[in-house]
Formats: sequence, C-alpha cells, structure tokens
Amino acid sequence: MRPLAPSFSQARAPSRHAITVSTLGVLALLSIATPAAAQTLEDAEMLQPREMHTTAMFGRDTWDQYWEGALKRTNGNIGTVTTRTITGTVAYGFSSKLTVLASLPYITTEASQGVLHGESGRQDLTVMAKYRVINAMIAGRARLKLLAVGGAGIPTADYTPDFLPMSIGLHSRSLTGRAALHLQDRTGWFVDGYGQRVWRSNVTLDRSTYFTDGQFVASNEVLMPDVADYRATIGFQNTRWCIPVGLTEQRTLGGGDIRRQDMPFVSNRMDFTMGHAEVMYFLPRVAGLRLDLGAMHTLRGRNVGQSTTIMTGLTYALHL
Amino acid sequence: MTPRANVHHAMSAPRTAAVMALCVVTSLAITSCDKSISITEVGAPLQPSNVDAGAGAWRMIVMTGPDQVAVPAPTAATSDTYLAEVAAVKSAQANMTDAQRRALSVWSAGGVLHWNEIERGLVARYNLPPAPRADGTYPVPDAENPFGDPQFPFANPPYASRAYSYVSVAQYEALKAAWYWKYKYNRPSPARVDASVTTLVPAGDLPGYPSEDAVLSGVTAEMLKSLFPGALEEITKAAAEQRDAAVLSGRATASDVAAGLALGKAVATLVLARAANDGMKAAVGTPALWQSQAAAATARGEIAWASQESPARPGMLANFGQVKAWTMTPAEVVAAEPLAPPSTSSQQMKDDLAEVKSTVTNLTREQEAIALKWNDGVGTPTPPGHWNAIASDYVRSAQMSEVRAARAFALLNMAMHDVAVGCWDTKYRYYNPRPAQLDPSIKTFIGLPNFPSYPSGHSTFSSAAATTLGYLFPDGATSFNSMAAEAGMSRLYGGIHYRSDITGGSEHGKRVGAAVVSYARADGAF
Repeated sequence: MRPLAPSFSQARAPSRHAITVSTLGVLALLSIATPAAAQTLEDAEMLQPREMHTTAMFGRDTWDQYWEGALKRTNGNIGTVTTRTITGTVAYGFSSKLTVLASLPYITTEASQGVLHGESGRQDLTVMAKYRVINAMIAGRARLKLLAVGGAGIPTADYTPDFLPMSIGLHSRSLTGRAALHLQDRTGWFVDGYGQRVWRSNVTLDRSTYFTDGQFVASNEVLMPDVADYRATIGFQNTRWCIPVGLTEQRTLGGGDIRRQDMPFVSNRMDFTMGHAEVMYFLPRVAGLRLDLGAMHTLRGRNVGQSTTIMTGLTYALHL
Repeated sequence: MTPRANVHHAMSAPRTAAVMALCVVTSLAITSCDKSISITEVGAPLQPSNVDAGAGAWRMIVMTGPDQVAVPAPTAATSDTYLAEVAAVKSAQANMTDAQRRALSVWSAGGVLHWNEIERGLVARYNLPPAPRADGTYPVPDAENPFGDPQFPFANPPYASRAYSYVSVAQYEALKAAWYWKYKYNRPSPARVDASVTTLVPAGDLPGYPSEDAVLSGVTAEMLKSLFPGALEEITKAAAEQRDAAVLSGRATASDVAAGLALGKAVATLVLARAANDGMKAAVGTPALWQSQAAAATARGEIAWASQESPARPGMLANFGQVKAWTMTPAEVVAAEPLAPPSTSSQQMKDDLAEVKSTVTNLTREQEAIALKWNDGVGTPTPPGHWNAIASDYVRSAQMSEVRAARAFALLNMAMHDVAVGCWDTKYRYYNPRPAQLDPSIKTFIGLPNFPSYPSGHSTFSSAAATTLGYLFPDGATSFNSMAAEAGMSRLYGGIHYRSDITGGSEHGKRVGAAVVSYARADGAF
C-alpha cells in the first residue's frame, strides 16, 4: 500500500495592511484536489475482502515562499506558514475488486510573522471507491492493473474559506473521477500513474461582493473552477517494503491569479508540480502494522506556496 | 439540501458503502447543476413616480447656478432637422443588436445606479496597496503612470470616500443643470413627438433636451477618468454605451445626446477644478510630517502608533485630515471630531485591550461571519462602497428620478467624505496604537489597517451613512442603525479595534451625518 498524498499549499499574499496571508492549508488544497490523499487512496492496491485498514497520519507542511501569480516571493507579513494535519483514514475491502476508503483531516495553520491568527478545525470528509477493472498477467512476468476510482468530498465543519492563507480549506464539495494504471514486475519494481478530474461546487462567502480574475462580482457565491491532476510513480515493493517516488501535477481549470500584493482568493488558479517520495515499512514483530514516512516538495507553482511536507503515519490492518 | 444536512445523513449511515453512495449522489447533484453566477445588480426599467420637474432650482454645491454652463436652444420639434433625427432613432431601433438590447436593459434600470456599481468595481480593482521595494521602502502610486507597479490609484478608504463623493456631487450638479435646461426649452422626447418611435423604456413626461443619459455619461466618464486613469478604456466604452442606449430607448435624439454630453463634460471640468485644489495632492504627507505626528504623541506621554507591517509602511494618507470637506468648514470638521481616546497607560485602555484579546481568541462563527461581512479590506469597494451598495437597494426600490437618485448618493457620499476627513484628522492627531501593537499576542482575524487606531473608520463611515440614509429613507432607519452598529462591532471581532474606538467613531459619524441632514433639509428638494 502506498501512502501519502501530497498535500498542497496555497499561496496567499498579503493584504493591504499588514496582513497577509498565506495559505491555506496545504493539505487543504490537496485533499480537495486529490481526495484521500493519504494511504491507499493514491495507489493501485486493493484490499482483500473483509480486510480493514485504519490509519493515523501526521503531516507538517511549511512554506516561506509563494507564487503571486507567476511571481515568486516572500512576505514579511506571514513569514513561514505552517500547516499541521492529523488525518484518520479507514479503508475496507468489500470484494477483491472493490475497496472503499474514508478520510477526515483535522488541520491547524499558523504564520510565523505578522498579526494574522491561525485557524484550526475538522476539514472535509473524503470517500473514495476503487474498482479494479482489469487485472492481467503480461507475458507471464508482469501484472497490469487498471482501476476506475470515484470519490466525493464534503466539508464537515462551517469553516470560512475567505481567510486565505490561514483558512483550513476551500469549503467546496467535490466529486472525483480517476483512471489509474499499475504495472508491476515479478521482482517488485513497478510503475504507475493516473489522471483525474475533480468537479467542485461553488462556495458561499460571508460577504456580498468580491473581486477576482479582473471581475467585480456582486454576489456571495464564488464559481469554483474544476481541477485536473496527474501523477506518475516509480517504485519497488516486496513483503516488507514499499518505496514509491514520483511527480504530481495539479492544474486548476480556470480562476484568476493573485494580483500584486493582493490576498489569495478561494477560486484562484492554483497549479503546482510536486515531487514526492515515501517509504512504507511493515513492522516485522507486529502483524498488520505498517509505518509510513513521506516527504513532498513543490517544484514549481502558481498561486500556491512552495511547500515542503513531511508526513508520518501508522496503519493497522485487520480482517473482519 | 444544505451541506450540513448531507453530512449528518452521511455520518449516521451504518456502513461505509452507504456513506460513499450518499456522498457520491450528493456531490453529483451539487456539481452537475449550473454553476454560473449572476455578477451584476439588476433592476426593472426605471419608472420614476415623480419626474422632479423643479430640480433645476435645487441648491447647487459647486456650481454658481444651474445656468452656469449654457446650453444652446434646440431646433424645434417640428423642424426638418429634428424630424430627420427622429427618423434616425427609428432606424436604429429597427436594427438593434443583442448586445445593444442587453446594454439598454442595464442602463434603463437607472444610469446613476449603474454608474455607482461600475465605480464600486473600479474601487475594488484599485484597492491594492503598493508592494514594498527590495530595499524595504514603498513606492507612492503615480497618477502620471497609472499602469506601473504600483498602479494608480491605491483606492483605500479615504481615497474611495473622496472619489465616491466627487462622482456623486458632479452627477448631481450636472443633472440639476440638465433639469433646468430641459424645462427651460421643453422639447419633448422623440417618443412623445412621434408615436411610431418605440418606447423601449417607460415613457415619462421629462423633456428630452438635453438628454439626461448623455449628461450622466459625460460628467461621470470625465470624473472617473480623472480618478481612475488606468481604466480609461472601459469607462469610455461604458459612457458610449449609455448614450447609445439613450437613443435606442426612444427618449433621445442625436441633438439631445450631443447637448447632454457637452453639458456633462463642462460640469465635470468645474468639479475637477475644485478637486485639483482640495488638499488631496498633499494627503500622503511627508517623512517630516510622519515624524512630527509620532513625536507629538510621545511628547504627551503616550505610546505612539507604529506600523505592524513588514517592512514598516508609512501610515495611510497621514495628511488626509486636511482635505477640504463638502458641507463643513475646517473648524466645523474639528468641532465634530471625538474627544481624546483613553491614555495608553490608563486602566480603561488595559481593560479595552483585554476585551479585544478575549474576543478575538474566542470568536464564535457568527462573529467571524460579521467580521468578514464588514471586512471591506483590500480588493473591495471599501466601507463607503459597501454603504453605496446598501443605498442602491433603497434607491432602486424607491424608483427615484435620476436627479433625485443623484441627490441621495451625493448626500450619502458627502457625509462619508466629510467624516473621513475628520476621522483621519483625529487618527493622526492622537496617533493611537492598534491592539496588536500594545499586545503582540493578539492575532487578528482580518487585515490590520496600517494607520492609527482611534477612532474606528468603519464606525465613523457607517454612523454617518446610517444617519444620512435614515433621513432619505425613514422606513429603513432602524435597519441602517443596526447595520452601522454591527459594522462597528465587526472591528472588535476582527481584533483590530478597541471598544472605545468604535464608540468614538460612532458618535463622530452621527454628528457629521446630522450636519449633512441639516444641509439637505435646506436644499430645496422637498
């Protein structure tokens, strides 16, 4: 089982007065873009029928530079933005072809400089179903799997998305459709990847007008552009280890840039490319216990923070 | 279903599969529906209950009289020249494009209202502070280089309050003059001259010459181009669209439009001459002024305000308190200002500070919503713009004539400008520190404004606006006052103002609002 999902951060910028902003929770972004980031949500692994995994994952994401549109900058009014995440995930194998996961993070944000206060709270519940469409041996030495994955995300708390970058999320409901391929050699080397689209609902603000993407809008409702994600991974796994390394790309299909010295906005075009590496280790003396370590770094972006994330998780597997 | 309801349903479901199925179905329902948003304010075609035929005699503010700008006599409604113009109107109506129909529907709901919305959009776009330079200093926006970095203007609340007031006053002056000439010449609108002209907006009894739509287009475009020079293209296009709509509506011919445009532009020239010498050019202040303001506070034994931005930014428009007011003399401005704030070393200040900390660290979701609703910070039309939006709903419902609508906005915006002058004068006189300066453990839920604390600008703007609007729309007075009180408290919830700032600002706003109301009672409009 592979682990960690990238999380992402978003950028925020400062405001007129001292403010500024920064970010959203990194995770917040990603969890929306790639629901169920953690654990098996990203990979092509399937659970056995009646097998259940429960995971606790701890993440710490920081950035001190962000992209204001295309301009990379620092901001003394936020300094370094840190997002801490605790995510609980439950996965269950309904059959050898269908695994369902549910994941819920608790997020805390904090800025090292300036006067903006951090936010914390339960974020969005993500539920994903992975359905294995194809499971074939190729030339007797490699296994090819094709998965169809569907997911949905729903905010579980009434947090505001209008205080970026300190807000813990974007408060949009989402629906995800993904096609994933996984090819694994008998020796344990594998490559896999997916493409997905995330449809996002509009969000409602506590104010009656806003300005974004060159447009003054007399409404409290914000049109949220959809998102496309692509991921490619190479790795090795055996009965004890699984070590994937890869790249994830997010493209927001619309939205405006953060203007010069402006605050970030919920519907900004948040794009990034992120490199990630994980190590999963099945503890030898405790049956069913797996330790996960992961690291992610944003290589390039637009309207997001250049985040670096470290994650640690523990998974316990049992049969019901 | 609300999101909350969905979540509760989902969580009570016994099985993961059920949860998932419900989520998927719910999300499908949510995301498959139409996501488009109506982004502009819309109204039915304006049909004034009273054309205000006497508006040409209402009190002038900048102009010496309604005939200060002469409008030549029109050709007779029976002349061949005029009849050819009427034929051109009919021809234009017969060849309307969809874009022209849309424009007509927007402008026919009220030109004063639509220009007000356009101006709020411009303020929101230009309400961005300059970014710091690499050396930690800040550039000052330059009217001669509006497209640079920083863009010009930085439409912060004082800038915006003045801009709204100039546009509204100029529109009001120009329309009063237009009414004067309309009733002096009494040439009917083309739809009244020729029954075969289609009346695409409700036909009123207002004489057509000069066209009030063209007057508005000319005066407003000139004012806005001066205040927002970087937006010249869209301002010019909007003005042309309004004049086009005037002809297509069947209420103006080419000569009505030409005379109106010339009158509007000429009135703008008179008003801009006042603007050029009202003290705004010196409003940014100088390093020597900033130092002397801080030194004066220190000399009184007080803790002087200091910018909490990084790098530290000079206080916003430190000399705006010397800008000329509309309805008050400089002495009257000072007389209406609130008394001194509690000393920074007093027990009351300690209590006020403790209240800010305890409030902002224990915010309820409802308080958060109030803080965000009234934040009106960067990228918004500012608090004066917020109150213009509130006024727009009442003006629209009241179906006022264009000249009476202009009066309403002029009174409202003169009140907010005049209170801004006194508020800024007070802020820089006392130079009082913000809560987060006195107690760095206080973290704010909204942006911390970069200027001294006392009194609260939101409270002064809102109380002055509520008092003025309560006079104009007595049925809304209770609502305006509760909105003003909420706007004031939103700053305590945001962690950026003490209660004494809000109280002082509110009293200040009421006094200035009352001054504007007495000014209005004597203007001849009732």
